[in-house]
Amino acid sequence: MTDGALDPVIHAPARLRIVVTLATLPAGDTLTFTRLQDLIGLTPGNLITHLRKLEDAGYVATSKSGAGVSAVTAIWLTPDGRTALDSYTVTLRGLLDSVSPDQRT
Amino acid sequence: MDEDQGTGQELDTQSASAIMQEASARAVRALVVRRPVLFAVWGVAWLAADGAIWLSVRGQRPYSGPTPAALMELIAIVAAAAIVTVILVGRAASGIGGLSALHRRILLMSYLAGFAGVLILEAALDHAGASPGVIGVYGAAAPTLLAGVVIAASSALRQEWSVLGLGLWLLAVGAGAGFAGPAAVWGVTALAGGTSLLLIAGIGLRLRRS
Repeated sequence: MTDGALDPVIHAPARLRIVVTLATLPAGDTLTFTRLQDLIGLTPGNLITHLRKLEDAGYVATSKSGAGVSAVTAIWLTPDGRTALDSYTVTLRGLLDSVSPDQRT
Repeated sequence: MDEDQGTGQELDTQSASAIMQEASARAVRALVVRRPVLFAVWGVAWLAADGAIWLSVRGQRPYSGPTPAALMELIAIVAAAAIVTVILVGRAASGIGGLSALHRRILLMSYLAGFAGVLILEAALDHAGASPGVIGVYGAAAPTLLAGVVIAASSALRQEWSVLGLGLWLLAVGAGAGFAGPAAVWGVTALAGGTSLLLIAGIGLRLRRS
């Protein structure tokens, strides 16, 4: 199995950061778009693009409340997203373990 | 970071692992309330506040109650601990909604309503002609009892068993400390309450490091 076995939706630096960050919160919690942006360090446009890909895969969900300047977008990891990250982590560990120590330099 | 980042084509497994560790550590630092620090703050505050009252009433025969200076000290210490709590929790919880935010609001309302009730009942006891000794026992024991009940209930809901132990311990201290008498009860609650919070803080910090 190569890197191709890793979920391609998650296996990208920005999306990996997004999913791991959201997974830090307990199930049932949400994070605002602006706080997530602060933590990830992406521009709003890039963050929206990556969130859309994750949302299309069913890994994150969003909801918008308010309107205009007071609008707040809440983002959270779905149960499918949590399961996908768990699978990704297991696969990644397997791949890392399969690499011999001298190859890891 | 540019738009192309995230295609996944250049990401090797070791880099992915490093990104996960870095992102997780950063998220925990930023989003998780440092509860051991909160326990330590309140442990020190409890020791200092009830300790100040105890120092002002020890040796009183008959018991006449704490000095205004000691009461002011207690109020200042509790206010300072509350401000530190608001800053620490507010910083970590900023932008977080959902169940945790709801739990925090319920916990805050429980404490505020509970302490308001404790103060109102103390005024009622005074109004009914209770002696300074009874007021002294009540003033030290009732807040301890309340803190024990709230901590035990909230930790049981989160299935945090060591903190549940703390809540039950405070409940026991609040229930039994009054037998020490109106002056000594302040020393008992200061030591038993403050040190138990510091102990839980120490356990939490050690677990976090391991």
